[in-house]
Amino acid sequence: MEKVAVAAVLLLAAGSLLSAQSSKKGFEWVTRQSDDPLLPGVNSLKVTGGIISAGSSTVYPLSERMVERFKDEGYQGSITVDSIGSGAGLERFCVAGETDVANASRAIKSSEVESARKIGREPLEFRIGTDALAVAVNKSNTFITNANKEELRLIFSTARKWSDVNPAWPKQDILRFIPGTDSGTFDYFVEELFGKKKEPILGAANLQLSEDDNVLVQGVEGSPYAIGFFGYAYFQENKDKLKVLSINGVAPSAETVNKATYPLARPLFLYSSAKIMREKPQVAAFLAFYLTYVNEEIRSVGYFPAEAEALKKAKQNWLDAMKGAY
Amino acid sequence: MQKKLRLGELVIQLTLLLFGVLSILITAGIVLTLGEESLRFFASGEISIWKFLTAAKWQPAIGEYGILPLASATLMTSLIAMLIAAPLGLFVAVYLSQYATPRVRAVLKPILEILAGIPTVVYGYFALTFITPLLRLVFGENVVSIYNTASAGIAIGILILPLIASMSEDALGAVPRSLKEAAFALGATKLETSLSVVVPAGISGVAAAFIVGLSRAIGETMIVALAAGAGSALTANPFRSAETMTGYIVRISGGDLGYDTVDYNSIFAIGIVLFLITLALNIVSRRIVRRFREVYE
Repeated sequence: MEKVAVAAVLLLAAGSLLSAQSSKKGFEWVTRQSDDPLLPGVNSLKVTGGIISAGSSTVYPLSERMVERFKDEGYQGSITVDSIGSGAGLERFCVAGETDVANASRAIKSSEVESARKIGREPLEFRIGTDALAVAVNKSNTFITNANKEELRLIFSTARKWSDVNPAWPKQDILRFIPGTDSGTFDYFVEELFGKKKEPILGAANLQLSEDDNVLVQGVEGSPYAIGFFGYAYFQENKDKLKVLSINGVAPSAETVNKATYPLARPLFLYSSAKIMREKPQVAAFLAFYLTYVNEEIRSVGYFPAEAEALKKAKQNWLDAMKGAY
Repeated sequence: MQKKLRLGELVIQLTLLLFGVLSILITAGIVLTLGEESLRFFASGEISIWKFLTAAKWQPAIGEYGILPLASATLMTSLIAMLIAAPLGLFVAVYLSQYATPRVRAVLKPILEILAGIPTVVYGYFALTFITPLLRLVFGENVVSIYNTASAGIAIGILILPLIASMSEDALGAVPRSLKEAAFALGATKLETSLSVVVPAGISGVAAAFIVGLSRAIGETMIVALAAGAGSALTANPFRSAETMTGYIVRISGGDLGYDTVDYNSIFAIGIVLFLITLALNIVSRRIVRRFREVYE
């Protein structure tokens, strides 16, 4: 009789120990029931604490959407997403160390990894999707529907009037609306067209730069002779007022982006580090949530899902970082 | 009679002195920071003061540091603002101080002051979504860019109108009655009296009002950031986009530049230029008040 009682007590103790094991402090949100084959489930109701993220204006609408969903499902804490450009976002993450997550529309540079290591952060990469950079003109523009890279180079550098690029086009000034010099979109465009040289594009006449893509959209809407480029989502959102150009005869679409035939497609990333995710379990929760549901949201925001392999790698990165933490 | 030391009085005096000194210290602090950071810009060796003031291109990311395009845009928006606010403000002041009955005045003045209370961001969107489309309707879509200095200038003009009107009104109201009565006695009409006697007599105050308005227009930020454009351009056409000094500062300080880079320090160099311009204007306005003040009686 006594033995049974002792066994029962032991069992109970072991049980409570086990259950304690499955919800270490801060990780009460981890649930067995998961919508993802790899990652643990996230019970948003039990996530506590704030999250700070900043970076790419391209990733911004996607992150906003994921935050909205995270909150809809019960997250009560405060979460900030600042749209300041990839470079600035990575600077805040790697140099100042002010943020938990950096949003980027380009891969982290080795110099940035080094500065992050100096403040004790080992950047961890999560691929979340693909953006097709949209080169857009006004809806009422009738003379251009397609451009090859050579024409794009001229349009965004030395050509003053449209007729300088193609004599059949009107003798009107080209009005250019481009993302600011610190945005990943700018870097990417310059790298693709001008081999990292900023001088041609920044020396162009009638040039307007802004980190706010809505300013660019508004500018292109404003004149039939305007042209701009920005993340595909901003085109998608304003497609009743804008017209997207085909590049080398290929229009951006889910198919051409996945097959990599559209020449201006680029990856989107989140960066964090294992240390931050372990110290601030809410960051790990948000990232797991993000990776689990991103493909359900990404199309309606206006971007394209990452290749299955890349997303799987991101989830594996999460699992490796959190091994034994919860 | 012996002076009695009263403790309460002393405490009050010291407190007031403290606040006075504090405001001086704050000003000194701002000047010091501005000076230090902009010195760093010129000390970096990449740019000489001469080139900074004369080069015709501003594009820090590729090493072009000529303040002219920014300064010309600031000049453009401020001049347009003054073209609107100076005559309007003066006429409003003449009307309010010479013509309006007390009842009309009691209604008009608060309404005018409401204009001054509208946040500048509202003016910015007013320029972008109302004035610009109006300009494009009148002058044609291809003539007027979506972001342009004319629209921003007009909005700034409306913004500084109440300031100029109420300062001018004070100046005109201070003109002694005897002068007006003398004019009337000579058979001058009300209009003649207002324009040839009252306005000249109050001209020092009116000029000071114009200059304070001008320096407010030069420093205005939100309206130009929203409506004037986001890329520097040296142009004399008010219907093209051009970025002003304040517009550039606010765009660049939006968190997208590394600390202690040349581009970052460049915004302080622009800041100190702005500061010097408004300081000079304030000094000029004080001079004018002193020199041209007509002393009667």
